[in-house]
Amino acid sequence: MTVIARQAFHFLPKAREIPGSIAIWAAILAEMTEFAIMFIVYFVARVHNPELFYDGPTRLSTSAGTANTLIMLTSSFFVVRAVMAMRENELKQCSQWLWGAVFCGVLYLVIKYFEYQWNTAQGLNTETNIFYGVYYYVTFNHFLHVGWGSAAIVWVIYRVNTGIYTKDDHEGLINIALYWHMIDLAWITIFPLLYVIR
Amino acid sequence: MTQIKIINYLWLLLIALTLFSAYMAEQSNPGIKSIVIMALVLAIKGRIIVDHFMELKRSHKFLRTLMQVYFYVIPALILVVYLFPTHIAKWTTL
Repeated sequence: MTVIARQAFHFLPKAREIPGSIAIWAAILAEMTEFAIMFIVYFVARVHNPELFYDGPTRLSTSAGTANTLIMLTSSFFVVRAVMAMRENELKQCSQWLWGAVFCGVLYLVIKYFEYQWNTAQGLNTETNIFYGVYYYVTFNHFLHVGWGSAAIVWVIYRVNTGIYTKDDHEGLINIALYWHMIDLAWITIFPLLYVIR
Repeated sequence: MTQIKIINYLWLLLIALTLFSAYMAEQSNPGIKSIVIMALVLAIKGRIIVDHFMELKRSHKFLRTLMQVYFYVIPALILVVYLFPTHIAKWTTL
């Protein structure tokens, strides 16, 4: 960054104070904004259709929603432990924790797939009413994030295993860790809104 | 307490809070009490992930504040929407 550019962005802290890169934070904040817009749509749809939003969660599988919340939180925990292992120069352990996170990601996708199947068997789809329209739009969007997030972790595992990351230089690992936590944050918000609150 | 122990305990706390939410979901008559608890649980879970999992507690102030605000605003909206649905419906009618 040139001196002039640095002066123009004087309100930003020095790069070293930011966990990960500025680019990943731009992505995270953009994604958080995208989810915030979806949540606002949810709130507006809710106040205009109180009965549909009161009944809606009762026909969804609370067990599937709860299981996926536990899985997402656990995967985030595994990612934190992977970063800690990297800092201790325990590359094998780092890789193992990351595989744990990938396993959780895949398990989440499988549960979500069966949840959608279960909904279909009950006659629930995007056209049923506005509650399920919002539910499918938000959860399928999140589903895609978990999919490509898991794939990105596999890429990071490859880089850990091939020795590209070291104890002192592993920004790529930190970036995917932060991105994965963002996916987790989105889900812990979706869970109460769509499965719990009536 | 070591950093690993803190993270382990926080993960257990997140799991316990989720199971508590699920229990609340199964209650047949939701009311303001359960809504307040749900909003509070979301705020606490968000704060733990932002501060400890993303490690913003010890790094960047502006990003930390930005992320924390998210988990004040959404729980607050949950309460406002529950308490004043007709007012908000009026404001959001085209």
